[in-house]
Amino acid sequence: MPRKPWSDNVRAYALNAPAIIVISLLVAYPIGYSFWVSLHRDNLKQPLAKRFIGLDNYLSLFHDDAFLASLRVSALFVLVVLAFTVVLAMTLALVLNETFRGRGLLLSLALLPWAMPGVVNGLMWRTVFDAKTGALNGLLTQLGLVDGYQAWLTSGTGAFFFTAMAQVWNTLPFSVIILLAGLATIPSELYDAAKVDRAGVLRRFGQVTMPWLTHPLLIVLILETMNAFRAFDTIYVLTGGGPGSATTTIALLDVRTVLTYTDFGLGSAYAWVITLITLVVSIGYIALLYRRGNFEV
Amino acid sequence: MTTVPLRYRVPWKKIVVYVLAVLFALYLVLPFYWIVAMSFMPEADAVSVPPQWIPEHPTLANYLGFVDPSDAQALVGSRAIEETPYSLLNSLVVAASTALLNLVLATFAAYSFSRIRFRGSQLLLVLYLITRMVPGIAIIIPFYLLMREFHLLDTYLALILSYTTFALPITIWILKDFFRSVPRELEDAARVDRCGWFRTMWSVFLPVAAPGLVAAAVFSFMTAWNEFMFALFLTSTRAAKTIPVVAANFATDFNTQYTVMAAAGVLAVLPPLLLALVFQRKLVAGMAAGSVKG
Repeated sequence: MPRKPWSDNVRAYALNAPAIIVISLLVAYPIGYSFWVSLHRDNLKQPLAKRFIGLDNYLSLFHDDAFLASLRVSALFVLVVLAFTVVLAMTLALVLNETFRGRGLLLSLALLPWAMPGVVNGLMWRTVFDAKTGALNGLLTQLGLVDGYQAWLTSGTGAFFFTAMAQVWNTLPFSVIILLAGLATIPSELYDAAKVDRAGVLRRFGQVTMPWLTHPLLIVLILETMNAFRAFDTIYVLTGGGPGSATTTIALLDVRTVLTYTDFGLGSAYAWVITLITLVVSIGYIALLYRRGNFEV
Repeated sequence: MTTVPLRYRVPWKKIVVYVLAVLFALYLVLPFYWIVAMSFMPEADAVSVPPQWIPEHPTLANYLGFVDPSDAQALVGSRAIEETPYSLLNSLVVAASTALLNLVLATFAAYSFSRIRFRGSQLLLVLYLITRMVPGIAIIIPFYLLMREFHLLDTYLALILSYTTFALPITIWILKDFFRSVPRELEDAARVDRCGWFRTMWSVFLPVAAPGLVAAAVFSFMTAWNEFMFALFLTSTRAAKTIPVVAANFATDFNTQYTVMAAAGVLAVLPPLLLALVFQRKLVAGMAAGSVKG
């Protein structure tokens, strides 16, 4: 009995209904509501002052020093994390793409940071970077690379750099896996042909590997940008945003505004700025997937 | 003149690969090794200079302290210590429930994408993907207000609901790929035998798709287990605090002993780590499938 197409549609949407209901109730509705909250002066500590103020929360952002500083910190954080992640992930993926003894072990080890909750990652690096007892100090001193223990996290620049390094360690595996999957799609004949042409290692990398990796690499760039942009767990535990505001990213500022200052209105405005920036990045991501025809259903 | 003499060539490539492999292995393992080692040390050894790379007086005291705090630990009075066992249990319940709920919801949706041609299917897939891109911070405030309204703050349900929405889109994406690889003939045969749709799903389709279901369940379990920000907002007592929240309490408490904090950290990382190692292949395939398809 041939089925009518419309009944297929009904069936498909009936199957999707539970997921759609849950997602719209718990994502779409809150996002809309969050915008509504952002149009109000709404601080739990001043319940009587609650009122509609239109776009005032947003307009105040332009001369909100804490907000502007956190945007700068976030942007720089994304850049530093991205640079280190891409170089390290590319190198590790190329190594894992070779055949050698212990490759399986190295791949398993690479999953270790991925499995680690951000909070544990933060407290782990705290013990490593500790000024008086840390493993990094111990190691570098024993190797004779530094004379005496250093307080890595007390200067703004130091704290920022080492927080970025902790974040890189945590998110590296994800990029490695994506790049490795990309490398696996390169036909080996291409390398053979390049070898016949006596192309050196660098030429083979530039002219055979890279063109095949542009797509996975872009995906890594986009997803890691989003990851680093909303980084919270590791930083919260490692530095708490300090010293001063050296590691106060926009996510940290937002959580502090809401949890500590209980300013729901301004916090929602921050959240909307974060959402808009993320949205722009994710549109790039989806457009990219589309161009590659990844959406054939 | 025209022949190239055969000579021994230094296998530079092999050397480079092995050196890099060893360096990366150390980079990946050493930081974790350090907190594992610390978690088995008495506090005095953990703060020694130079550091003890191998615990000289190995002890289980840091772990046993969670169940039965010593006098010294009770005196320092870190609430985090006594909350640790509860939070582990909370995390387990929340993560397992999330995985289960996700699987049920995602199975229906993913099946539609793998078996039915319908209008708007591409758009719907993209919409799912977009919700995954929404930063948690964007929905946390209204979510908090909503949960307060329904008196769900500090309960499992609030956490399970929020983690389900995080994990659902990616679960659907993973499952739809797995489901497509299940041969249609199986269902056709079952239909010939006059099995209803639910019967067919339950006794024919799902058993064949089991590997995909396991991968998806592991993914959502790990998402729920590792999540921190929502748990920070939504929980406040041992009734629902999850292990990341308690672990963060250790870090923000100035009295904390590093050894006890390390032990809590190790306990928090063990379940996701074991899952990652056991299901390595499936997870790697799932991660790759979620973002690239060649």
